[in-house]
Amino acid sequence: MKTAKISNPSIVLQLDGLTKKIGGKAIVDGLSFDIAKGEVVGLLGPNGAGKTTTMRMIVGLIGMTSGDVRICGQSVRTNFEQAISHVGGIIENPEFYPYMTGYDNLMQYKRMTAGVTEARIAEVTRLVGMQDALGKRVKAYSLGMRQRLGIAQALLHEPKLLILDEPTNGLDPAGIREMREYLKQIAEAEGIAILVSSHLLSEIELMCSRIVVIQEGKLVTIRSLGESETPTQKLLSISLQVGNAERAQELINLMEDITIARADALTNRITLQLRQDQIPGLVGKLSTAGVEIYRIEEVRETLEEEFMKLTGGNRIA
Amino acid sequence: MRNFTGLLVNEWLKLSKKRSFFVAYAILAVVFGILAYAFYELSPDGLNSTVDFATGTIMLQAAGQLVPVLAVLAAAGSVTQEHRYGTIKFLLIRAQSRNKILASKYIISVVYTLTLVLTAAVLAVVAGYIVYGGGAGESTWSDFLTNIASLAVYSIVFVTMTFMIGILTKSNGASIGVGIFSMMVGSLLVMLLSRYTITKYLLFSNTDLSVYNGEGPPIEGMTMAFSIVILLVYMALFLSVSFAVFKKRDIA
Repeated sequence: MKTAKISNPSIVLQLDGLTKKIGGKAIVDGLSFDIAKGEVVGLLGPNGAGKTTTMRMIVGLIGMTSGDVRICGQSVRTNFEQAISHVGGIIENPEFYPYMTGYDNLMQYKRMTAGVTEARIAEVTRLVGMQDALGKRVKAYSLGMRQRLGIAQALLHEPKLLILDEPTNGLDPAGIREMREYLKQIAEAEGIAILVSSHLLSEIELMCSRIVVIQEGKLVTIRSLGESETPTQKLLSISLQVGNAERAQELINLMEDITIARADALTNRITLQLRQDQIPGLVGKLSTAGVEIYRIEEVRETLEEEFMKLTGGNRIA
Repeated sequence: MRNFTGLLVNEWLKLSKKRSFFVAYAILAVVFGILAYAFYELSPDGLNSTVDFATGTIMLQAAGQLVPVLAVLAAAGSVTQEHRYGTIKFLLIRAQSRNKILASKYIISVVYTLTLVLTAAVLAVVAGYIVYGGGAGESTWSDFLTNIASLAVYSIVFVTMTFMIGILTKSNGASIGVGIFSMMVGSLLVMLLSRYTITKYLLFSNTDLSVYNGEGPPIEGMTMAFSIVILLVYMALFLSVSFAVFKKRDIA
């Protein structure tokens, strides 16, 4: 049993050179990254980048050509039953036996895992707010209800890792928001690590603490999201809407360390780069010079823009 | 072990929670009811007792043929329905090996087949008793039991074959089609090819063991022991293919 490549005990999921070749072509190519306890990590990539294949290899639905996946130190390749017992998953839409009730469906999965009690079933159904619908047949469920039941089945055996492939697929905006809240709550309250893929980048941005970007099966980048600390020395991008752009420009040019990125005399908008502690001074100067300020906004690069930059648009490999 | 029992319970519930579950048993009841009524009205020659009736109707050439057909319908769905519903994804990400999951499915398919055989047997005796109220005839209880046993063997062989086709094709319709088609055409094929001795190694020449208690084997020189060995070899082949393919398959 080859296991101990783990150095940090809080690492829940470890991908190590994960590769899938089909007919000589690498669908996933030497992918390696780790996820620690309580982390919510987004897996991003254009269509055909290998996201779903990666997730299916992690849960053992698809065999790997080389490399390994370790979950809590157990190899999916050589020690499948132990490794998978730490994982809960929804791979694409949650599907159930439509002719059975929600309760019967959950009981199916209870019988497959040692140690799941009736009390646990009650607990997870309460968590996803399904206690009233549990006696109905699944075929009468809306997609939103099926998604919730999907989360319930994934949490049933108290996993340490959740694998969610497109969990918000087909949900309406309210459902998406609800799903996001659940996931955050689960990650925080129970310390579960979550790996989630979605093509809704704004969702990923709101949900994840880190993203892993892949393209054509290869790792492009791993980075953290939402560093909320605003270092006073960091350069910010600010957009100003003023009464007279030309006058404002003249004044700003006189100030040190402020660069104008763009100025538009027609809409009277100026985009400039400066440090946070320079903003009050700038506003004061403009006011005393009689330049009216209508708006001050921070210009942030969205994840989408960043994603496009990283992957070079949505090319399908 | 407790876990494996859980898997068996699961598979049984997947069959029995379906609304159509009782239809198979109801069909058997209706058919034996009709037969009983027909025999009561027509009172054909040579059939004089409950045992005669039961032994005759449960044969493969009579109402017994329904049993393997109904069993094949269920066996075809065992794996293919999981693919159709998409539940295979949830099923295979549990702390259970694929071998155990498939074994539970196969065992329940066989158990279900046996319940159909048993139901047909009970119905045959009850219907026969209603019409003849006992009586003395040619057949003995041992003939009846022999026919039940060969019906069970025949059904299980075709269930095993259909089960494998379900795994290979993932299609419910295709496996039902192939299963029932080979049941119908198999015996025809054996008749057509009966002058070649190699035909005796064909699966279909050996599926009906009741011939050794009556008309004799389709090809001379065949014995009951020979047929049983051939059947076991085919079953082992079907099952090894099933397990090997199911274990390796990528669920995409």
